[in-house]
Amino acid sequence: MPIRSITTGWKSNLGQAIPSQPDDQNSRQPRGWRDLPYLWTLVRWLWSFAITLLGLSIITFAMTRLSPIDPALQLVGDHASQSTYAQARETLGLDEPLPVQFVNYLRTALSGNLGQSISTGQPVARDIARTFPATLELATVAIVLGSVFGLSLGIIGAMRPGSVLDGVVRLVSLVGYSVPIFWLGLLMLLLFYAKLHWAPGPGRLDVVFQYTVPSVTGFALVDTWLSGKVGAFRSALSHLALPALVLAFYAMAGISRLTRASILAELGQEYVLTARAKGAGLVRVVFKHVLPNVTGTLLTVIALSYASLLEGAVLTETVFAWPGIGRYLTTAMFAGDMPAILGGTLVVGACFVALNAFTDFAVNRLESAQR
Amino acid sequence: MKKLSLKSALLGAVFTTATLFSLAAQAETPPNVLVVAQSIDDAVSFDPAEGFELTTVQSFNSLYQRLVQPGREDATKIEPALAASWEPGSDGKSLTLTLAYAKFASGNPVRPEDVIFSFTRAVKLNKTPAFILNELGWTDKTVDSAITKVDDTHVKLTWTADVGPAFALAILTAPIASIVDEKTVAEHVANDDFGNGWLKSNSAGSGVFKIATYTPHEALVLEANTNAKEQPKLESVIIRNVPDAGARRLLIEQGDADIARGLGADQIDALKQKSGVKVLAVPSARSDYLLINSKANETLGNPAFWEAARYLVDYDGIANNLLRGQSQVHQAFLPAGFPGAVTDNPFKLDVEKAKTILADAGIKTPVTVQFPVFNDQPYLSIAQSLQSTFAQAGINLEIQPGVASDIYTKAREGKYEFTLRYWLPDYFDAHSNASAFAVNKDNSANTVARQAGWVIPEITTETLAAVKEQDATKRAVLYKALQEKLQKSSPYVFILQGSDQVVLSDKVKNYAQGLNADQVYYDRVEK
Repeated sequence: MPIRSITTGWKSNLGQAIPSQPDDQNSRQPRGWRDLPYLWTLVRWLWSFAITLLGLSIITFAMTRLSPIDPALQLVGDHASQSTYAQARETLGLDEPLPVQFVNYLRTALSGNLGQSISTGQPVARDIARTFPATLELATVAIVLGSVFGLSLGIIGAMRPGSVLDGVVRLVSLVGYSVPIFWLGLLMLLLFYAKLHWAPGPGRLDVVFQYTVPSVTGFALVDTWLSGKVGAFRSALSHLALPALVLAFYAMAGISRLTRASILAELGQEYVLTARAKGAGLVRVVFKHVLPNVTGTLLTVIALSYASLLEGAVLTETVFAWPGIGRYLTTAMFAGDMPAILGGTLVVGACFVALNAFTDFAVNRLESAQR
Repeated sequence: MKKLSLKSALLGAVFTTATLFSLAAQAETPPNVLVVAQSIDDAVSFDPAEGFELTTVQSFNSLYQRLVQPGREDATKIEPALAASWEPGSDGKSLTLTLAYAKFASGNPVRPEDVIFSFTRAVKLNKTPAFILNELGWTDKTVDSAITKVDDTHVKLTWTADVGPAFALAILTAPIASIVDEKTVAEHVANDDFGNGWLKSNSAGSGVFKIATYTPHEALVLEANTNAKEQPKLESVIIRNVPDAGARRLLIEQGDADIARGLGADQIDALKQKSGVKVLAVPSARSDYLLINSKANETLGNPAFWEAARYLVDYDGIANNLLRGQSQVHQAFLPAGFPGAVTDNPFKLDVEKAKTILADAGIKTPVTVQFPVFNDQPYLSIAQSLQSTFAQAGINLEIQPGVASDIYTKAREGKYEFTLRYWLPDYFDAHSNASAFAVNKDNSANTVARQAGWVIPEITTETLAAVKEQDATKRAVLYKALQEKLQKSSPYVFILQGSDQVVLSDKVKNYAQGLNADQVYYDRVEK
């Protein structure tokens, strides 16, 4: 029996029905939009996207309004006169009932205007366009590094369970899970920047380049590349190293643990035993048969890690003076900056939903290919 | 094949990491640029009619000029700036100022029209610092007639408030009295906003620097104003947002910043031992004080409780052990350095004396008091010290950490019992503090005294008499008497006066900073 059929057999055991293939040309003709699977999927996805964002807006709005922060007083301060305070409340729309405030916000947001941030004085859309690429750039490099290291360590650990190597892998994962990320960031700065001088200090670029390279895309690597200044590009790359590695370490911890656990679970399956009995080596079995079966799970974990890096890199951004959306949202929360909080949450929420949809799509495609 | 792929992936990742590290360039700050590392997360607006945050206020001296300014060496002396001279009116309620020839960064000359526009927009916009100009009686209805052009070089200011020219000049030293370039701002007016939207992140002044770029939460870049009368020594100043104090310390230590602000006592202690940097301690006008809500309950409204509280603070322990040079003990409402400030510190921690005062007044202990505190250092540490010493006299302080605006709201609404606050003067005059702590005739104005539920018509009258006094010596005596009166009996316990500890690279010369928050001077800095 070829190994390929073993894999398929395992899939069948999960009870996943293989769709029957239409056997005549007529059945392939769409009879309505529901017969167009991709269109139907897109419609369902868009509906789910809209509902998720609406729910997110309602919850965020309610939570912000339930917090004890008075945005008007936060804006004008304690020394301001009563008339200035009243004017600020009116300008921010706080004198309206809560449902009216929310509907007003939705109305302007739907017209493409996310409002003006209280804490920066700038349009929220502009703030997000400035801060989100910084986080996206950092998170993307981090997830690539985290995935490569995490998958590799997970596989190594699973192939030699109980060995010294496996112990090291598990220890590294445990440290990644347990160590506070800001502490790790400061420690890495202290070691690689202050002591060894291998890495530059906090920030996205050296001072000489930071304010001379025009921001076109908001991605430091792209902008410095477009500027044609080799030194600036090198500076952007080197500044990215430490924060990306800190985040990558964090992502790696989760990915390696799950990779190891998933592979170990698979290695106990009958099809693996059969393959090994037929003389297939461990490496061949893991790479050729086990990994394809756990790819869906791993993809989901990587996507979740990526999503959490996109919104959860606040502390890393603070330590490394990285002007990303995590810090923007945190500052906004302390300032009771409703437009910024809602705008930022919507963008992060949209990323979550989009990543989720992409992962679903990718997993489905993989499974279809395997079938 | 797959084994090779795994190896390749691992090698690739290791190589990428190594490459990222190998690219690190140790860059010192450029010789003609001053790099300042601090948190600028508080900055909301660089419009002098609106900006009231530490970061923006610290930049106004570089970006704008006022008609008059506090002296750099002696802030009690008012010096000419855009006004070469001034003449008080015979009625005691007007000033005629002669403008010196000066140009804005745009190249436009400074005209009386710019003065009229600047004050008018500041009052009509009614943003946070507008209350400072309101002290002169200027409102959106009266300001148009209060400031008039005499001729091309003279402008006349009149006011209705019962204050003299000396006080009016003090008001004119505040950042909100900065003069903006009307012609430049007019090009950027949108929706009758007097150019406020544009000035939030741009400048239109005659200061030695102008804003080159401002990126919120990232950096403020100032570049030399080539039209300024006196040119700065450096081409530009980059104020980088470095929100984490530990990272700021590393940057100044490594030479990647020339100045670092906002470091904690531990970090300052560590840097004092390092070569290549020096710590500059500048007295600040910030006062830390306890505020007692006298209306909260009978115990807190009892003056004996206020008096006992003054003996339950470990002043020296807080200043010397907790804050270690970041504040000094100061027990009056005027900070040292202000004319008439009382610098005696008559109170010490004396638990037995406090117990006697409480017992004599019939206040039964133990008593529990709610204590909302800013959820930030050093306030939480100070609160813990207070909790410990008050408990020794049977007063249990229940610390409730909270955000600033929540504590402000509670104080404004009188929904608190006891709290720890700070105060910074809004302009360089004793009335800025006196009008907060010693004015509350009938609960009509939002003063600190009103927040304490302390109605003081007689003391209010004395405070208003002090601001009217034209003789500087007599005025100082009046403020001294007021401070001593509040020291004896008031629902405040003044504990500390701040001290700003700024860390400078050894290369930095001629950096100056004054008592008030806006007195930060980059113009003569050399490297």
